Amino acid sequence: MKVPFSWVKEFVDIDISAYELGNKLVAAGFEIEEYINLRDNIKNVIVGSVEEIEKHKDSDHLKICKINTGKEVLQIVTGADNVKKGDKVPVALDGAVLPDGKHIRKGELRGVLSNGMLCSGEELGLTEDDFPGAGVNGILILNSDVNVGDDVNDVIGNTDTVLDVAITANRPDCNSILGIAREIAAVLNKPLKMPDLSYEESNDEISDYISVENKNYKLCPRYMAKAVTDVVETQSPKIIRDRLKAVGIRPINNLVDVTNYVLTEIGQPMHAFDLENLAGHKIIIRNAEEGEKIIALDGKEYALKKEHLAICDAEKPVAIAGVMGGEYASIGLNTHTVILESARFARDSIRHTSREIGLHSDSSARYEKGIDFYSQELGLKRALSLFYKYNWGKIVSGEIDKCEKKPEQNSIEYDYREINDIIGVNLEKSEIIKILNRLEIKTSAKGDKLTSIIPLYREDIYGVNDLTEEVIRIYGYDVVKSRLISGCCGGKTEKQLSMEKIKNILIGKGVFETVSYAFVSPKSFDVLNLNKESYLRNAIEIWNPIGSDMSVMRTNLTFSMLKTLESNYKRGNKASRFFEIANTYIPKELPLSELPEEKAKLSLGFYGETENYYTLKEVLDDIFEIYGMEVKYKRANETFLHPGRSALIEYKDKLLGYIGECHPDILENLDMDERLYIAELDAETIAENGMAIKPFKAISKYQGMQRDLALIAPEKYPAAEILSAIKDVCTDILEKVEVFDIYTGGQIQKGKKSIAVKLSFRALEKTLKDDDVNEEIKKVLEELSGREIVLR
Amino acid sequence: MTERIKQISEAFGAKISGAETLGDLNNIKIKYLGKNGEVTELLKNLKNCLAEERPIIGKKINELRQRIENSINEREKNLAEKAKLKKLEEEEIDVTLSLAHKDTTGALHPLTITKNMFINIFAGMGFEVKEGPEIELDYYNFQLLNIPADHPSRDMQDTFYITDKILLRTQTSAVQARVMLEEKPPIRIICPGKVFRADDDATHSPMFHQMEGLVIDEKDKVTLGDLKGCLDEFARKFFGEDSRIRLRPSYFPFTEPSVEMDVSCFMCKGKGCRLCKNTGWIEILGAGIVNPIVLDNCGIDSKKYSGYAFGIGIERCAMLKFGIPDIRILFENDIRFLRQYK
Repeated sequence: MKVPFSWVKEFVDIDISAYELGNKLVAAGFEIEEYINLRDNIKNVIVGSVEEIEKHKDSDHLKICKINTGKEVLQIVTGADNVKKGDKVPVALDGAVLPDGKHIRKGELRGVLSNGMLCSGEELGLTEDDFPGAGVNGILILNSDVNVGDDVNDVIGNTDTVLDVAITANRPDCNSILGIAREIAAVLNKPLKMPDLSYEESNDEISDYISVENKNYKLCPRYMAKAVTDVVETQSPKIIRDRLKAVGIRPINNLVDVTNYVLTEIGQPMHAFDLENLAGHKIIIRNAEEGEKIIALDGKEYALKKEHLAICDAEKPVAIAGVMGGEYASIGLNTHTVILESARFARDSIRHTSREIGLHSDSSARYEKGIDFYSQELGLKRALSLFYKYNWGKIVSGEIDKCEKKPEQNSIEYDYREINDIIGVNLEKSEIIKILNRLEIKTSAKGDKLTSIIPLYREDIYGVNDLTEEVIRIYGYDVVKSRLISGCCGGKTEKQLSMEKIKNILIGKGVFETVSYAFVSPKSFDVLNLNKESYLRNAIEIWNPIGSDMSVMRTNLTFSMLKTLESNYKRGNKASRFFEIANTYIPKELPLSELPEEKAKLSLGFYGETENYYTLKEVLDDIFEIYGMEVKYKRANETFLHPGRSALIEYKDKLLGYIGECHPDILENLDMDERLYIAELDAETIAENGMAIKPFKAISKYQGMQRDLALIAPEKYPAAEILSAIKDVCTDILEKVEVFDIYTGGQIQKGKKSIAVKLSFRALEKTLKDDDVNEEIKKVLEELSGREIVLR
Repeated sequence: MTERIKQISEAFGAKISGAETLGDLNNIKIKYLGKNGEVTELLKNLKNCLAEERPIIGKKINELRQRIENSINEREKNLAEKAKLKKLEEEEIDVTLSLAHKDTTGALHPLTITKNMFINIFAGMGFEVKEGPEIELDYYNFQLLNIPADHPSRDMQDTFYITDKILLRTQTSAVQARVMLEEKPPIRIICPGKVFRADDDATHSPMFHQMEGLVIDEKDKVTLGDLKGCLDEFARKFFGEDSRIRLRPSYFPFTEPSVEMDVSCFMCKGKGCRLCKNTGWIEILGAGIVNPIVLDNCGIDSKKYSGYAFGIGIERCAMLKFGIPDIRILFENDIRFLRQYK
């Protein structure tokens, strides 16, 4: 809301600067977005007097002037021929800025130094109406009584400051100069002066001109109208034009400007119809018929729906209620009688209509915020007083006021101590009453009980909490004293801690945490070459995404991880390890009828010279070891993983996730030539395991024994199965078994491999003897030979 | 004999001082003390001496032998020490060298670091950490929080919708409603998590993180002063012990009164600088007394109980704390950025 300081001063005696006022408004709940100093439009332009004029040697039209600026005498070249010796003129000095944004620098004109520029009225953004003499073709000649050296802004009256005030959604009443003035009056504890509302009426009676029928009081709770005859269309006076310009509205003519002026000052949108174009001299407020068409003032045709509210004459819609008038009944050069509309429309109705037909206006924006009951009459009277003051027409007596039920002011009864209890202070009862009355919330006391009557324009106040806010924001929050919280029993849950532990393990392994968007492109599924029937393609779509590349909720983290790896690689980062823990969103059915399953997943991605499948697997195995999870790796067959270098990971016979090198086809999709290693696991399952306490295992005091076995096995026989077969067949003296060498080719038969395993034995209660271990080895070899695995 | 002893003693003295290695020393040992060594020979020849001279000469030979042994031992120790020093000297390396750089430790994302700082501060004040769904019902995200359909404040947050009833939560306040419906007061929770709004520029991201705080207790235990005390503590722990806060009125549909909390600028200590746009204050978070309508909506008797709530933007605080100029950097996941938070 742009508030020109001079305008608001008309309603309150403000004796502080615009900046000081701004600070007080911030403290009362109105942030100041910007202070706009109109002086900034014209900088470094001063009044100078012409001391000498001589002709330019090399030019027919240029003149060389000596200008006294009060401090010095400057040589300035001008092309105008209306300047005489002794004239006082606006002088743009070196470094000046003009309203059109032009910067003035000193320079040479046909070889003669010019230290600035003499300005015309137009160059200062003025017309003849704005300032006498501004319209002449040539330099603006100022009155002889102005002081040499003065800032030209002071001479032409361009001195206002405009405060751009942010209005919170609960205070639609403050989207007007008068509304802000009311707040300022309360803040400064000064009286509010109401705008002039006086006018005289002619002897005509409005019922002879127009009749109004309201068929939908729900969407139009109040419709007021007045008629003005013999209207004159002209330019608005300077003060109206200046003020409209200061708030960013272009002045057009008095009939248009007056509605904009009232909209800004009072906050009430108004509309003017040409009576002659209202068929049957009737206004009917009704729902549009489905498909009913209207050409609006923007010249475009709109088809309305039956839930849209229309202002109609006896035959057709003449305005889209609260949004925009129709071209047909609009005022023009030949308008004789104007019907002024001042109405309250339901804000959600205006909002729906405006969005559905795609038409927005200052009026619809204002209605969407909410217009109170109080403003219709005030706005109408203010508009009429301007018609009267400037003699723009004759005001017909009588008014139309279609209002089903005049609203009553709400009253709230409460104990004044309730307010203190919410704030945590002890304000005097009288102090509270005083503040509320300053806000025009009429408050009286009976003992400790207060009764507050809420003005109609304060539709945001329902109860004691609302009144409390009014009191504290005017009194000032500094009175609130901190009180420290007592008692403690908080913190993270075990599962949250366990999830955090996963992160800490990964950091220790040189992996960096990433955070990526929860929405991805639907094309991501094609990048992963997912099968048409893959469940990962069942992604939840966003109705109104900001772009197609962020339009579905991700069903996996792998794609986001691949994008992270890709962007790092393409930025020239040679090697990296990343992880992310985040939710995936798996719908139970599509379209959604209930909330989807949100599953926390752990995604990992490695690349770089020293990385391979095993460096990634080692990190996972560490996690499984720490969380006490025995998992099984089984060859995977995922479209996005290298078929020979990937595995599904199972835990307790359930799928936990996958690990592998990225499939070359996917690398091609990403336009990459670097091997990538990725994994995605169910993070919640892992975190749940972290909560179990591991049981104590006794440590043997006795010497152990080791045996190495060189075995020949079928080439594709998984090493993990050999190890688990050995573990299964041995007694508990087998402490550890691991592979230490694998070899193919050479003397090894084709289709076979040599695999060397080291078995470590140790008993809890004695030193082992050879025989004890030989017994175990015998069982192992027997078991393995059944699997076509023999000693080398 | 005496002459011979003297000769041997002198010759030994010359030899031993010339011994530079343990090998030299061993040769000397053999030459004098070995089976056929010179001192051994002297002892063998002792029987040829006059009987009355024998004790004296014998004593002299023994003295010589003792001296030689001591000298050799001493020299041996000496040489071993020298050899050790030499080895140490040879093993010298350039201690300023490092291995080729490799990330042997990773790092948490700065958003996680910030979130953890928040959680630690509030956990110390007895807040429990609660989580809720990111895809949420309109009912929890808006309706229970006193934001009915078509309420103008819905415009404050551009919402991503999935159906007319299901949306991406725009605020972690949605978790508030869920907890209030499930639990009885006293309630003291914080709810960190992802939220979503249709906005994308240098200070707004379509996905970002918030942390909601909610305290519900009997009326006399919950005032604006308690809210201020809690936020004061947060500001001092997060922004530094000398931080001050100020509250100023604002509007949120689910709190009444509503406030914005500013913290005194930690760059210029309130004097005014570019960071605080010369105001001395930085806007940090929104808060307020829970609107009694919300309590009643969520089945908590607003006559008996009151509450306060606050919502902190994690990105905003992380950017302030770490001096990160553009929110988008947080989601690019460039290793050169992430490495800075080791």
